[in-house]
Amino acid sequence: MIKKLHENRLIFVTGKGGVGKSTVTAALGQALANQGRRTLILETDTYSAMEDLFNFRSSGLKPVKLGPNLWASNLLAEDCFIATLRRFVPSERVARAIINNRVARVFFKAAPSVNEVTILDQVRVFFEETEGGRPRFDHVIVDLPASGHAVTFLNVPATMSGMMRGLGPIAKMAMQVSDIIKDERTTAVVAVCLPEEMPVNETIELSENLRTIIGRPLTLAMVNMVHRPPLDASQRQVFERLRHELSPSDEREANTLFDGSSTHANPIVRLIEGNAMALGWHDRDQKYLRILHERMREPVVEIPVFFEANGTEIVDHIASFLIHGDNDAEQNLAS
Amino acid sequence: MSKEVQLQSEAADTIGDLLETSRLIVCVGPGGVGKTTTAAALGLRAAMAGRKTIVLTIDPAKRLANSLGLDTLTNQPQLINLSEMLGQPEPDLNGGELWAMMLDSKQTFDELVNRLAPDRGALEKARENNIYRLLSSALHGMQEYMALEKLHDLYTGGYFDLVVLDTPPTKNALEFLETPGRASQFFDERIIRWFLPSKGAGLFGRVFNAGSIVISLLGKILGEAFVTDLVEFFDTFQYLQEALKHRGDMIEFILRDPDTYFLVITSADPRRMKEAVFFHEKLAALDQKAEVFIVNRVIPSFSAEDIAHIDDTELDRLLATHGLDNAHDAATMRLRLETHYARLAMLAVRDHDAISKLGRLVGKEALRLVPLLGEDVHNLGHLLKLGSFLTPSRTAAPAAAGK
Repeated sequence: MIKKLHENRLIFVTGKGGVGKSTVTAALGQALANQGRRTLILETDTYSAMEDLFNFRSSGLKPVKLGPNLWASNLLAEDCFIATLRRFVPSERVARAIINNRVARVFFKAAPSVNEVTILDQVRVFFEETEGGRPRFDHVIVDLPASGHAVTFLNVPATMSGMMRGLGPIAKMAMQVSDIIKDERTTAVVAVCLPEEMPVNETIELSENLRTIIGRPLTLAMVNMVHRPPLDASQRQVFERLRHELSPSDEREANTLFDGSSTHANPIVRLIEGNAMALGWHDRDQKYLRILHERMREPVVEIPVFFEANGTEIVDHIASFLIHGDNDAEQNLAS
Repeated sequence: MSKEVQLQSEAADTIGDLLETSRLIVCVGPGGVGKTTTAAALGLRAAMAGRKTIVLTIDPAKRLANSLGLDTLTNQPQLINLSEMLGQPEPDLNGGELWAMMLDSKQTFDELVNRLAPDRGALEKARENNIYRLLSSALHGMQEYMALEKLHDLYTGGYFDLVVLDTPPTKNALEFLETPGRASQFFDERIIRWFLPSKGAGLFGRVFNAGSIVISLLGKILGEAFVTDLVEFFDTFQYLQEALKHRGDMIEFILRDPDTYFLVITSADPRRMKEAVFFHEKLAALDQKAEVFIVNRVIPSFSAEDIAHIDDTELDRLLATHGLDNAHDAATMRLRLETHYARLAMLAVRDHDAISKLGRLVGKEALRLVPLLGEDVHNLGHLLKLGSFLTPSRTAAPAAAGK
């Protein structure tokens, strides 16, 4: 399922907060690592989700090894700024003078987009890093910030370079980063969403904006937490008739069915109502998936929902799903 | 089995009180939990309580505009027509009104420049500046500055009793709270002076001055052209700098006003809950406090114990009477139903635990739970229903609300 990403050495993962973007990013990294590919997961100055999912503490810009073939680092803007400066200022002494200059610090802290550009420059450094004559990492996966729009973030280098009229070392660096982002053979942009109205619409918009603003396509949409159908079509007919007979017709009674004050002792009614809710989720998911398929030409991967409470377990399940497909299909459980 | 009533305190209707007295309500929280919709529902309740209310959203679903009876939300406040929902041609809400608007940061910035530019020449010059052209539309962080700018206008404009401010999810929302300081820092006069040519001497007349060493170093890194543009930008925008700095201070003042309240909106999903706790801590670090934690989409207390109490023979018989007369098929379906129900029960326990944990941290009385509603919010009726869970002691019928 992720074979098509093997070509992409740089993978940007985007998605609004709440869609499980970081979990999917972690799973994608884990899946690639499981396939023997040396993979680095980068976060961009954020409240790190990877630290919880992989149970480690990041240390500066240096990638922390999480397991076979897997590394991670949280790129703090401050660290990236200093690293970028050191690359561009010939003398260590001058670099230090700028870093320690209160005016320059305040300027860079307050100026919009400086953070983004230096973070992306650090991404480029990892992407280009070699070890023994070959790239140090087969894949660099970037978990883009949940806030704002991926297109704005990915377009920052081009904007910055334009703002500097392409002159000066930072503008040249920004242009290089911008070229890497545009190169659809090397670089993938993956959108994670949920089968819900807003995330689906945003993904469709993202796909259009990537083409028109950045000039490259979206590589893949991954729809997270898709509810499996609780019942097949014929079972569903039986279910609907059964529900019609058993369910409370009174809305007030239906509301109290689960609040502990119910006089409805019949657990079968609760079983039926619970499943009715699950069927509703499935129907809603399918509706938004149809919209996504109709309005977008990029491939769509549907990741089933895993109810396990533990984030690390969910990462393993999704990683396994990305390699082997859904081996947790309802039939296996039910039969 | 556990009851919802144990999770939140039923006595207090803090939100209802806030909607009647506060001047600004800031909704923060992770993405994907219905924050914008909740902000709209809060606005609706406040309007029904007789207040002129505006909901300022930053990134709404089209559905939200639709649910308010509009095609789109724009950068201008739009009055929401409540007559149909309330069943009155001209509803009397004791002066209460609901307005909504969506932030357009580029337009807001252009308006700001238009309004503050001392003359047309300055305006033209601003428009030609390379940095201005890119800054107003493309750059990260501009949205936050401009949201505060709009907030300032709405808050001090005098028309609205209450502004309900919806914020972008996680990281941005924190920037949002930190932006006032950041904006005034950026436009801090003492900083600006380093970049500006001193009068008469010109930019290069201060070669031996500490500020120009910085400029020349920046020139090396950023390119001379950029620094020249930057100096010109600062020069052109001196009037803007003053205004923005003043506003930054004002907004800081507004956010710290005793009549400003913060609500954290989350869902019961443990990961979202964790982010809610993050907000709780971040607010504390900023010397603020969330008054209420609204937990959306709480799923019913499905219980795994129910499965043990199910009479298999009875369920199989029921399935048979509705068309599954083959014993094997009936058993297969029963197992499927039970498997799914067990998963829901697992979710319910997980949510319940997460809510209890939050309750222990912030106090049960600060929690307000909203059950998982069966459908997406598509119209004012749905917003009203959502609102009734937010302010339980003020659930009077819409028509009576205007008395």
